[in-house]
Amino acid sequence: MNRTKFALVVLIILYVFLLGPFLVIFVASFGQQAVMTFPPHGFSLKWFDKVFHQQMFLDSFWTSLYVALLATASALLLGVPAAYAFVRYNFRGKNLLETIISSPVIVPGLVIGFALLRFFVLIGNLPVLFGLYLGHTAILIPYALRVVAASLRNFDVDVEEAAVSLGAPRLRSFFLVVLPNIRAGVAAAFILSFITSFNNVPVSLFLTGPGVATLPIQMLVYMEYYFDPTIAALSSILIVVTVLIVQAAERAMGLSRYV
Amino acid sequence: MNFSRRGRALAALVGPSALFLCLFFLLPLAFVLLQSFQGENGAFSLHQYASFLRSPRFLIVYGRTLKFGIMVTALSALLAYPASYALVRMDKGKRSVLMSIVILPLMTSPVARTYAWLVILGRFGLINQLLRGLGITHEPARLLYTQGAIVVGLAQLFLPLMVLSLVSALENIPPDSEEAALSLGANRLTAFFRVILPLSADGFILGSILVFTGSITAYVTPAILGGTGVLTLATLMQQEALVLMNWTDATIIAVVMVLSTLVFYLVLRRLRPETA
Repeated sequence: MNRTKFALVVLIILYVFLLGPFLVIFVASFGQQAVMTFPPHGFSLKWFDKVFHQQMFLDSFWTSLYVALLATASALLLGVPAAYAFVRYNFRGKNLLETIISSPVIVPGLVIGFALLRFFVLIGNLPVLFGLYLGHTAILIPYALRVVAASLRNFDVDVEEAAVSLGAPRLRSFFLVVLPNIRAGVAAAFILSFITSFNNVPVSLFLTGPGVATLPIQMLVYMEYYFDPTIAALSSILIVVTVLIVQAAERAMGLSRYV
Repeated sequence: MNFSRRGRALAALVGPSALFLCLFFLLPLAFVLLQSFQGENGAFSLHQYASFLRSPRFLIVYGRTLKFGIMVTALSALLAYPASYALVRMDKGKRSVLMSIVILPLMTSPVARTYAWLVILGRFGLINQLLRGLGITHEPARLLYTQGAIVVGLAQLFLPLMVLSLVSALENIPPDSEEAALSLGANRLTAFFRVILPLSADGFILGSILVFTGSITAYVTPAILGGTGVLTLATLMQQEALVLMNWTDATIIAVVMVLSTLVFYLVLRRLRPETA
Protein backbone atom coordinates (compact mmCIF):
# COMPACT_ATOMS: atom_id res chain seq x y z
CA MET A 1 0.00 0.00 0.00
CA ASN A 2 1.54 3.33 -0.97
CA ARG A 3 1.45 6.33 1.35
CA THR A 4 -1.38 8.14 -0.45
CA LYS A 5 -3.62 5.09 -0.21
CA PHE A 6 -2.78 4.62 3.48
CA ALA A 7 -3.59 8.27 4.18
CA LEU A 8 -6.87 7.92 2.28
CA VAL A 9 -7.89 4.85 4.30
CA VAL A 10 -7.21 6.72 7.56
CA LEU A 11 -9.22 9.65 6.22
CA ILE A 12 -12.21 7.38 5.61
CA ILE A 13 -11.89 5.85 9.10
CA LEU A 14 -11.75 9.37 10.55
CA TYR A 15 -14.95 10.43 8.80
CA VAL A 16 -16.79 7.27 9.84
CA PHE A 17 -15.69 7.92 13.43
CA LEU A 18 -16.73 11.58 13.33
CA LEU A 19 -20.03 11.20 11.50
CA GLY A 20 -21.16 7.61 12.18
CA PRO A 21 -22.58 8.49 15.61
CA PHE A 22 -24.84 11.14 14.02
CA LEU A 23 -26.27 8.55 11.63
CA VAL A 24 -26.79 6.07 14.48
CA ILE A 25 -28.73 8.54 16.63
CA PHE A 26 -30.82 9.59 13.65
CA VAL A 27 -31.86 6.00 12.92
CA ALA A 28 -32.42 5.22 16.63
CA SER A 29 -34.86 8.08 17.10
CA PHE A 30 -37.43 6.36 14.83
CA GLY A 31 -37.65 3.23 17.01
CA GLN A 32 -40.81 2.09 18.76
CA GLN A 33 -39.51 0.78 22.07
CA ALA A 34 -39.19 2.94 25.15
CA VAL A 35 -35.71 1.51 25.81
CA MET A 36 -32.93 2.63 23.48
CA THR A 37 -31.98 -0.30 21.26
CA PHE A 38 -29.91 -0.39 18.15
CA PRO A 39 -30.93 -1.37 15.56
CA PRO A 40 -34.39 -0.12 16.61
CA HIS A 41 -37.51 -2.27 16.37
CA GLY A 42 -40.38 -1.01 14.28
CA PHE A 43 -40.93 2.50 13.01
CA SER A 44 -42.54 5.35 14.88
CA LEU A 45 -42.60 9.12 14.97
CA LYS A 46 -43.94 9.28 18.53
CA TRP A 47 -40.68 10.49 20.07
CA PHE A 48 -40.61 13.48 17.73
CA ASP A 49 -44.22 14.14 18.67
CA LYS A 50 -43.26 13.96 22.33
CA VAL A 51 -40.46 16.53 21.89
CA PHE A 52 -42.94 19.13 20.65
CA HIS A 53 -45.37 18.41 23.47
CA GLN A 54 -42.93 18.68 26.35
CA GLN A 55 -43.39 22.15 27.79
CA MET A 56 -39.90 22.08 29.35
CA PHE A 57 -38.23 21.63 25.96
CA LEU A 58 -40.29 24.41 24.39
CA ASP A 59 -39.58 26.81 27.27
CA SER A 60 -35.88 26.06 27.36
CA PHE A 61 -35.63 26.38 23.58
CA TRP A 62 -36.94 29.96 23.79
CA THR A 63 -34.58 30.69 26.71
CA SER A 64 -31.61 29.44 24.67
CA LEU A 65 -32.73 31.41 21.63
CA TYR A 66 -33.12 34.70 23.57
CA VAL A 67 -29.80 34.31 25.36
CA ALA A 68 -27.94 33.32 22.18
CA LEU A 69 -29.35 36.18 20.10
CA LEU A 70 -28.78 38.85 22.77
CA ALA A 71 -25.30 37.62 23.70
CA THR A 72 -24.24 37.32 20.05
CA ALA A 73 -25.50 40.80 19.19
CA SER A 74 -23.76 42.28 22.25
CA ALA A 75 -20.50 40.44 21.57
CA LEU A 76 -20.44 41.76 18.00
CA LEU A 77 -21.28 45.32 19.09
CA LEU A 78 -18.46 45.20 21.62
CA GLY A 79 -16.03 43.06 19.60
CA VAL A 80 -16.12 44.61 16.14
CA PRO A 81 -14.89 48.09 17.23
CA ALA A 82 -12.19 46.48 19.38
CA ALA A 83 -11.08 44.27 16.47
CA TYR A 84 -10.89 47.37 14.25
CA ALA A 85 -8.71 49.22 16.79
CA PHE A 86 -6.36 46.25 17.26
CA VAL A 87 -5.88 45.64 13.54
CA ARG A 88 -5.57 49.28 12.44
CA TYR A 89 -3.70 51.03 15.24
CA ASN A 90 -0.68 50.68 17.45
CA PHE A 91 -1.03 52.28 20.84
CA ARG A 92 0.26 52.15 24.37
CA GLY A 93 -1.27 49.36 26.44
CA LYS A 94 -2.36 47.47 23.33
CA ASN A 95 -0.82 44.20 24.51
CA LEU A 96 -2.44 44.44 27.93
CA LEU A 97 -5.86 45.22 26.43
CA GLU A 98 -5.53 42.37 23.94
CA THR A 99 -4.68 40.00 26.80
CA ILE A 100 -7.69 41.17 28.82
CA ILE A 101 -10.11 40.81 25.94
CA SER A 102 -8.86 37.39 24.83
CA SER A 103 -8.53 36.00 28.37
CA PRO A 104 -11.89 34.17 28.52
CA VAL A 105 -10.53 31.81 25.86
CA ILE A 106 -7.97 30.19 28.14
CA VAL A 107 -10.23 29.86 31.18
CA PRO A 108 -12.42 26.71 31.20
CA GLY A 109 -16.14 27.46 30.74
CA LEU A 110 -17.00 25.60 33.93
CA VAL A 111 -14.78 27.96 35.94
CA ILE A 112 -16.31 31.03 34.27
CA GLY A 113 -19.83 29.88 35.14
CA PHE A 114 -18.78 29.02 38.68
CA ALA A 115 -17.02 32.35 39.28
CA LEU A 116 -20.02 34.29 37.94
CA LEU A 117 -22.39 32.34 40.18
CA ARG A 118 -20.29 33.14 43.27
CA PHE A 119 -20.05 36.77 42.16
CA PHE A 120 -23.79 37.16 41.56
CA VAL A 121 -24.54 35.68 44.96
CA LEU A 122 -22.22 38.30 46.48
CA ILE A 123 -23.66 41.34 44.71
CA GLY A 124 -27.26 40.30 45.27
CA ASN A 125 -29.69 38.25 43.29
CA LEU A 126 -29.69 38.94 39.58
CA PRO A 127 -32.45 37.55 37.37
CA VAL A 128 -31.31 34.17 36.02
CA LEU A 129 -31.76 35.25 32.42
CA PHE A 130 -29.55 38.31 32.95
CA GLY A 131 -26.81 36.22 34.54
CA LEU A 132 -26.87 33.79 31.60
CA TYR A 133 -26.71 36.73 29.21
CA LEU A 134 -23.63 38.21 30.95
CA GLY A 135 -21.79 34.88 31.08
CA HIS A 136 -22.49 34.05 27.44
CA THR A 137 -21.50 37.53 26.25
CA ALA A 138 -18.20 37.27 28.14
CA ILE A 139 -17.19 34.05 26.35
CA LEU A 140 -18.38 35.30 22.94
CA ILE A 141 -16.49 38.64 22.88
CA PRO A 142 -13.01 37.15 22.24
CA TYR A 143 -14.48 34.71 19.75
CA ALA A 144 -16.27 37.41 17.72
CA LEU A 145 -13.17 39.61 17.94
CA ARG A 146 -10.85 36.91 16.59
CA VAL A 147 -13.07 36.08 13.61
CA VAL A 148 -13.68 39.73 12.67
CA ALA A 149 -10.00 40.65 13.13
CA ALA A 150 -9.01 37.84 10.75
CA SER A 151 -11.22 39.21 8.03
CA LEU A 152 -10.11 42.82 8.73
CA ARG A 153 -6.49 41.78 8.17
CA ASN A 154 -7.41 40.57 4.69
CA PHE A 155 -9.00 43.89 3.79
CA ASP A 156 -6.81 46.38 1.96
CA VAL A 157 -6.14 49.43 4.19
CA ASP A 158 -5.59 51.64 1.11
CA VAL A 159 -9.24 51.39 0.08
CA GLU A 160 -10.32 52.85 3.40
CA GLU A 161 -7.55 55.47 3.33
CA ALA A 162 -8.70 56.52 -0.14
CA ALA A 163 -12.21 57.15 1.18
CA VAL A 164 -10.83 59.12 4.12
CA SER A 165 -8.47 61.20 1.98
CA LEU A 166 -11.37 62.03 -0.33
CA GLY A 167 -13.08 63.60 2.66
CA ALA A 168 -15.22 60.87 4.19
CA PRO A 169 -15.25 61.02 7.99
CA ARG A 170 -13.77 57.95 9.70
CA LEU A 171 -17.07 56.71 11.06
CA ARG A 172 -18.80 57.13 7.72
CA SER A 173 -16.04 55.38 5.84
CA PHE A 174 -16.19 52.51 8.31
CA PHE A 175 -19.88 51.91 7.61
CA LEU A 176 -19.72 52.59 3.87
CA VAL A 177 -16.35 51.08 2.96
CA VAL A 178 -14.97 48.78 5.67
CA LEU A 179 -18.12 47.02 6.90
CA PRO A 180 -19.40 45.96 3.45
CA ASN A 181 -15.98 44.47 2.73
CA ILE A 182 -15.78 42.40 5.91
CA ARG A 183 -19.44 41.35 5.92
CA ALA A 184 -18.55 37.68 5.32
CA GLY A 185 -16.34 37.73 8.42
CA VAL A 186 -19.02 39.47 10.50
CA ALA A 187 -21.64 36.98 9.31
CA ALA A 188 -19.31 34.07 10.16
CA ALA A 189 -18.69 35.61 13.60
CA PHE A 190 -22.45 35.87 14.11
CA ILE A 191 -23.14 32.25 13.16
CA LEU A 192 -20.22 30.82 15.14
CA SER A 193 -21.06 32.91 18.22
CA PHE A 194 -24.73 32.01 18.04
CA ILE A 195 -23.97 28.28 17.77
CA THR A 196 -21.43 28.50 20.61
CA SER A 197 -23.94 30.17 22.91
CA PHE A 198 -26.91 28.01 21.91
CA ASN A 199 -24.93 24.80 22.56
CA ASN A 200 -23.10 25.96 25.66
CA VAL A 201 -23.25 23.75 28.75
CA PRO A 202 -20.31 24.57 31.09
CA VAL A 203 -21.07 28.29 31.57
CA SER A 204 -24.84 27.75 31.80
CA LEU A 205 -24.53 24.79 34.20
CA PHE A 206 -24.01 27.00 37.26
CA LEU A 207 -26.09 29.94 36.03
CA THR A 208 -29.44 28.28 35.40
CA GLY A 209 -31.90 28.73 38.24
CA PRO A 210 -35.25 27.42 39.36
CA GLY A 211 -37.60 27.25 36.40
CA VAL A 212 -35.15 28.76 33.92
CA ALA A 213 -32.87 26.42 31.96
CA THR A 214 -31.26 26.51 28.55
CA LEU A 215 -32.08 23.70 26.15
CA PRO A 216 -28.82 21.72 26.56
CA ILE A 217 -29.13 21.89 30.37
CA GLN A 218 -32.77 20.80 30.18
CA MET A 219 -31.71 17.85 28.01
CA LEU A 220 -29.11 16.81 30.59
CA VAL A 221 -31.71 17.03 33.39
CA TYR A 222 -34.23 14.99 31.37
CA MET A 223 -31.59 12.30 30.71
CA GLU A 224 -31.10 11.82 34.44
CA TYR A 225 -34.70 10.64 34.82
CA TYR A 226 -35.79 9.13 31.50
CA PHE A 227 -34.11 6.70 29.15
CA ASP A 228 -36.61 6.77 26.29
CA PRO A 229 -35.60 7.96 22.80
CA THR A 230 -37.10 11.46 23.23
CA ILE A 231 -33.60 12.91 23.60
CA ALA A 232 -32.54 10.95 20.50
CA ALA A 233 -35.37 12.57 18.51
CA LEU A 234 -34.52 16.04 19.83
CA SER A 235 -30.84 15.42 19.12
CA SER A 236 -31.67 14.38 15.56
CA ILE A 237 -33.58 17.61 15.03
CA LEU A 238 -30.68 19.67 16.42
CA ILE A 239 -28.15 17.78 14.29
CA VAL A 240 -30.13 18.23 11.07
CA VAL A 241 -30.63 21.96 11.72
CA THR A 242 -26.91 22.36 12.49
CA VAL A 243 -25.90 20.54 9.30
CA LEU A 244 -28.17 22.79 7.23
CA ILE A 245 -26.83 25.98 8.86
CA VAL A 246 -23.18 24.93 8.58
CA GLN A 247 -23.51 23.86 4.94
CA ALA A 248 -25.34 27.07 3.96
CA ALA A 249 -22.75 29.17 5.78
CA GLU A 250 -19.90 27.21 4.19
CA ARG A 251 -21.29 27.91 0.74
CA ALA A 252 -21.99 31.59 1.45
CA MET A 253 -18.81 32.56 3.28
CA GLY A 254 -16.48 29.58 3.77
CA LEU A 255 -17.34 29.12 7.44
CA SER A 256 -14.67 26.47 8.16
CA ARG A 257 -11.90 29.04 7.50
CA TYR A 258 -13.02 31.00 10.54
CA VAL A 259 -13.42 28.19 13.09
CA MET B 1 -5.23 68.03 20.64
CA ASN B 2 -4.74 65.58 17.81
CA PHE B 3 -3.28 63.03 20.20
CA SER B 4 -6.12 63.25 22.65
CA ARG B 5 -8.67 62.93 19.86
CA ARG B 6 -7.00 59.72 18.74
CA GLY B 7 -6.85 58.57 22.34
CA ARG B 8 -10.53 59.22 22.84
CA ALA B 9 -11.41 57.38 19.62
CA LEU B 10 -9.35 54.36 20.72
CA ALA B 11 -10.93 54.41 24.16
CA ALA B 12 -14.37 54.41 22.57
CA LEU B 13 -13.43 51.47 20.36
CA VAL B 14 -11.70 49.22 22.89
CA GLY B 15 -13.03 50.56 26.19
CA PRO B 16 -16.50 49.00 26.29
CA SER B 17 -15.37 45.40 25.68
CA ALA B 18 -12.39 45.72 28.05
CA LEU B 19 -14.63 47.19 30.74
CA PHE B 20 -17.29 44.51 30.23
CA LEU B 21 -14.73 41.72 30.64
CA CYS B 22 -13.07 43.38 33.65
CA LEU B 23 -16.45 43.61 35.40
CA PHE B 24 -18.06 40.34 34.39
CA PHE B 25 -15.08 38.09 33.93
CA LEU B 26 -11.83 39.16 35.61
CA LEU B 27 -13.42 40.57 38.76
CA PRO B 28 -15.51 37.42 39.51
CA LEU B 29 -12.45 35.29 38.78
CA ALA B 30 -10.24 37.33 41.13
CA PHE B 31 -12.96 37.15 43.75
CA VAL B 32 -13.12 33.35 43.56
CA LEU B 33 -9.33 33.11 43.70
CA LEU B 34 -9.19 35.33 46.79
CA GLN B 35 -11.93 33.33 48.45
CA SER B 36 -10.02 30.10 47.95
CA PHE B 37 -7.31 31.43 50.30
CA GLN B 38 -9.76 32.26 53.06
CA GLY B 39 -9.72 29.93 56.05
CA GLU B 40 -12.61 29.20 58.38
CA ASN B 41 -12.16 32.39 60.43
CA GLY B 42 -11.85 34.51 57.29
CA ALA B 43 -8.09 34.99 57.57
CA PHE B 44 -5.55 34.00 54.91
CA SER B 45 -4.90 30.27 55.00
CA LEU B 46 -3.46 27.53 52.84
CA HIS B 47 -4.88 24.82 55.03
CA GLN B 48 -7.87 24.00 52.81
CA TYR B 49 -5.54 23.65 49.79
CA ALA B 50 -3.14 21.41 51.69
CA SER B 51 -5.82 19.04 52.90
CA PHE B 52 -7.80 18.83 49.66
CA LEU B 53 -4.83 18.52 47.27
CA ARG B 54 -3.49 15.63 49.36
CA SER B 55 -6.76 13.73 49.48
CA PRO B 56 -6.65 10.46 47.51
CA ARG B 57 -10.05 11.30 46.04
CA PHE B 58 -8.64 14.40 44.35
CA LEU B 59 -5.31 12.83 43.35
CA ILE B 60 -6.97 9.85 41.62
CA VAL B 61 -9.34 12.10 39.67
CA TYR B 62 -6.59 14.56 38.74
CA GLY B 63 -4.26 11.81 37.51
CA ARG B 64 -7.08 10.24 35.53
CA THR B 65 -8.01 13.56 33.92
CA LEU B 66 -4.42 14.23 32.81
CA LYS B 67 -4.21 10.67 31.46
CA PHE B 68 -7.37 11.27 29.39
CA GLY B 69 -5.83 14.48 28.05
CA ILE B 70 -2.68 12.65 26.92
CA MET B 71 -4.61 9.71 25.42
CA VAL B 72 -7.01 11.92 23.48
CA THR B 73 -4.17 14.10 22.17
CA ALA B 74 -2.17 11.04 21.06
CA LEU B 75 -5.20 9.40 19.45
CA SER B 76 -6.09 12.64 17.64
CA ALA B 77 -2.56 13.07 16.31
CA LEU B 78 -2.37 9.44 15.11
CA LEU B 79 -5.59 9.75 13.10
CA ALA B 80 -5.30 13.40 12.10
CA TYR B 81 -1.77 13.30 10.59
CA PRO B 82 -2.50 10.81 7.77
CA ALA B 83 -6.01 12.22 7.28
CA SER B 84 -4.77 15.82 7.00
CA TYR B 85 -2.05 14.64 4.63
CA ALA B 86 -4.72 13.09 2.41
CA LEU B 87 -6.83 16.26 2.63
CA VAL B 88 -3.97 18.54 1.61
CA ARG B 89 -3.18 16.38 -1.43
CA MET B 90 -6.78 16.61 -2.70
CA ASP B 91 -8.11 19.09 -5.22
CA LYS B 92 -9.59 22.27 -3.78
CA GLY B 93 -13.26 21.46 -4.45
CA LYS B 94 -13.29 18.05 -2.76
CA ARG B 95 -11.21 19.37 0.09
CA SER B 96 -13.48 22.28 0.99
CA VAL B 97 -16.49 19.95 1.05
CA LEU B 98 -14.65 17.57 3.39
CA MET B 99 -13.40 20.44 5.58
CA SER B 100 -16.92 21.75 6.04
CA ILE B 101 -17.98 18.27 7.22
CA VAL B 102 -15.03 17.83 9.57
CA ILE B 103 -16.15 20.77 11.74
CA LEU B 104 -19.61 19.26 12.37
CA PRO B 105 -18.76 17.67 15.74
CA LEU B 106 -17.66 21.13 16.96
CA MET B 107 -20.86 22.74 15.77
CA THR B 108 -23.50 20.26 16.99
CA SER B 109 -25.04 20.32 20.43
CA PRO B 110 -22.64 18.53 22.81
CA VAL B 111 -25.56 16.73 24.45
CA ALA B 112 -26.80 15.43 21.09
CA ARG B 113 -23.31 14.38 20.02
CA THR B 114 -22.59 12.57 23.27
CA TYR B 115 -26.03 10.96 23.41
CA ALA B 116 -25.16 9.19 20.15
CA TRP B 117 -22.41 7.30 22.02
CA LEU B 118 -25.01 6.07 24.53
CA VAL B 119 -26.84 4.47 21.59
CA ILE B 120 -23.61 2.92 20.32
CA LEU B 121 -22.10 1.77 23.63
CA GLY B 122 -25.24 1.04 25.70
CA ARG B 123 -26.42 -2.36 26.98
CA PHE B 124 -28.65 -2.82 23.94
CA GLY B 125 -26.56 -0.54 21.76
CA LEU B 126 -24.94 -1.06 18.38
CA ILE B 127 -21.74 -2.71 19.59
CA ASN B 128 -23.36 -5.04 22.11
CA GLN B 129 -25.98 -6.19 19.56
CA LEU B 130 -23.19 -6.75 17.07
CA LEU B 131 -21.13 -8.79 19.55
CA ARG B 132 -24.16 -10.89 20.46
CA GLY B 133 -25.21 -11.32 16.85
CA LEU B 134 -21.78 -12.65 15.99
CA GLY B 135 -21.89 -14.99 18.97
CA ILE B 136 -18.84 -13.44 20.61
CA THR B 137 -20.61 -12.59 23.87
CA HIS B 138 -23.86 -13.71 25.50
CA GLU B 139 -24.15 -11.10 28.22
CA PRO B 140 -24.00 -7.45 27.18
CA ALA B 141 -20.49 -6.11 27.78
CA ARG B 142 -20.11 -3.09 29.99
CA LEU B 143 -18.91 -0.35 27.66
CA LEU B 144 -20.64 2.71 29.08
CA TYR B 145 -19.46 4.50 32.21
CA THR B 146 -15.89 3.39 31.52
CA GLN B 147 -12.67 5.27 30.88
CA GLY B 148 -12.63 4.07 27.28
CA ALA B 149 -16.07 5.55 26.62
CA ILE B 150 -14.88 8.97 27.79
CA VAL B 151 -11.71 8.86 25.68
CA VAL B 152 -13.67 7.87 22.56
CA GLY B 153 -16.27 10.60 23.13
CA LEU B 154 -13.60 13.25 23.71
CA ALA B 155 -11.65 12.14 20.65
CA GLN B 156 -14.70 12.63 18.42
CA LEU B 157 -15.16 16.13 19.79
CA PHE B 158 -11.56 17.32 19.59
CA LEU B 159 -10.22 15.54 16.48
CA PRO B 160 -11.55 18.33 14.23
CA LEU B 161 -9.34 20.87 16.04
CA MET B 162 -6.25 18.72 15.37
CA VAL B 163 -7.25 18.26 11.72
CA LEU B 164 -7.79 22.02 11.22
CA SER B 165 -4.41 22.85 12.81
CA LEU B 166 -2.54 20.18 10.85
CA VAL B 167 -4.16 20.95 7.50
CA SER B 168 -3.13 24.60 7.71
CA ALA B 169 0.41 23.56 8.69
CA LEU B 170 0.78 20.86 6.00
CA GLU B 171 -0.55 23.22 3.32
CA ASN B 172 2.60 25.29 3.62
CA ILE B 173 4.99 22.38 3.03
CA PRO B 174 5.94 22.12 -0.64
CA PRO B 175 5.27 18.53 -1.83
CA ASP B 176 8.74 18.63 -3.41
CA SER B 177 10.50 18.57 -0.04
CA GLU B 178 9.06 15.16 0.76
CA GLU B 179 9.77 13.90 -2.76
CA ALA B 180 13.34 15.11 -2.41
CA ALA B 181 13.83 13.17 0.81
CA LEU B 182 12.36 10.02 -0.75
CA SER B 183 14.39 10.27 -3.95
CA LEU B 184 17.54 10.73 -1.89
CA GLY B 185 16.86 7.36 -0.32
CA ALA B 186 14.93 8.12 2.87
CA ASN B 187 12.18 5.63 3.61
CA ARG B 188 8.65 6.86 4.33
CA LEU B 189 9.04 6.83 8.12
CA THR B 190 12.30 8.78 7.94
CA ALA B 191 10.74 11.22 5.51
CA PHE B 192 7.87 11.72 7.94
CA PHE B 193 9.99 12.19 11.06
CA ARG B 194 12.80 14.21 9.45
CA VAL B 195 10.86 16.34 6.95
CA ILE B 196 7.08 16.44 7.48
CA LEU B 197 7.02 16.46 11.29
CA PRO B 198 9.56 19.30 11.82
CA LEU B 199 7.96 21.41 9.10
CA SER B 200 4.47 20.99 10.57
CA ALA B 201 5.56 21.20 14.22
CA ASP B 202 3.83 24.54 14.71
CA GLY B 203 0.42 23.23 13.69
CA PHE B 204 0.96 20.04 15.69
CA ILE B 205 1.78 21.99 18.87
CA LEU B 206 -1.16 24.35 18.38
CA GLY B 207 -3.47 21.37 17.80
CA SER B 208 -2.11 19.61 20.89
CA ILE B 209 -2.72 22.69 23.06
CA LEU B 210 -6.34 22.87 21.88
CA VAL B 211 -7.02 19.13 22.21
CA PHE B 212 -5.29 18.64 25.57
CA THR B 213 -6.67 21.70 27.36
CA GLY B 214 -10.11 20.98 25.88
CA SER B 215 -10.00 17.36 27.05
CA ILE B 216 -8.95 18.04 30.64
CA THR B 217 -11.68 20.66 31.12
CA ALA B 218 -14.54 19.09 29.13
CA TYR B 219 -17.75 18.57 31.12
CA VAL B 220 -20.55 17.09 29.00
CA THR B 221 -18.66 14.06 27.67
CA PRO B 222 -17.45 12.69 31.04
CA ALA B 223 -20.78 13.63 32.65
CA ILE B 224 -22.79 11.49 30.20
CA LEU B 225 -20.31 8.73 29.34
CA GLY B 226 -18.53 8.41 32.70
CA GLY B 227 -21.33 9.11 35.12
CA THR B 228 -20.47 9.34 38.78
CA GLY B 229 -18.35 6.17 38.53
CA VAL B 230 -15.55 7.65 36.43
CA LEU B 231 -15.15 11.24 37.60
CA THR B 232 -12.86 13.81 35.97
CA LEU B 233 -11.86 17.23 37.31
CA ALA B 234 -14.88 18.85 35.64
CA THR B 235 -17.47 16.34 36.87
CA LEU B 236 -15.87 16.26 40.34
CA MET B 237 -16.16 20.05 40.47
CA GLN B 238 -19.84 19.87 39.51
CA GLN B 239 -20.42 17.22 42.21
CA GLU B 240 -18.69 19.27 44.90
CA ALA B 241 -20.51 22.48 43.99
CA LEU B 242 -24.03 21.39 43.08
CA VAL B 243 -24.49 18.05 44.86
CA LEU B 244 -22.35 18.24 48.01
CA MET B 245 -22.57 22.07 48.26
CA ASN B 246 -18.89 22.08 49.15
CA TRP B 247 -17.94 25.47 47.71
CA THR B 248 -14.41 25.50 49.10
CA ASP B 249 -13.34 22.29 47.40
CA ALA B 250 -15.14 23.26 44.18
CA THR B 251 -13.19 26.53 44.20
CA ILE B 252 -9.88 24.73 44.67
CA ILE B 253 -10.70 22.43 41.73
CA ALA B 254 -11.49 25.52 39.65
CA VAL B 255 -8.08 27.01 40.52
CA VAL B 256 -6.32 23.70 39.71
CA MET B 257 -8.12 23.55 36.34
CA VAL B 258 -7.13 27.09 35.39
CA LEU B 259 -3.50 26.60 36.47
CA SER B 260 -3.16 23.25 34.67
CA THR B 261 -4.50 24.74 31.44
CA LEU B 262 -2.31 27.80 31.77
CA VAL B 263 0.91 25.88 32.52
CA PHE B 264 0.38 23.48 29.63
CA TYR B 265 -0.46 26.38 27.32
CA LEU B 266 2.65 28.36 28.27
CA VAL B 267 5.02 25.37 28.12
CA LEU B 268 3.82 24.23 24.71
CA ARG B 269 3.76 27.76 23.34
CA ARG B 270 7.45 28.07 24.17
CA LEU B 271 8.08 24.99 22.05
CA ARG B 272 6.58 26.61 18.99
CA PRO B 273 9.16 27.53 16.36
CA GLU B 274 10.42 31.13 16.32
CA THR B 275 8.80 31.79 12.96
CA ALA B 276 5.34 31.50 14.50
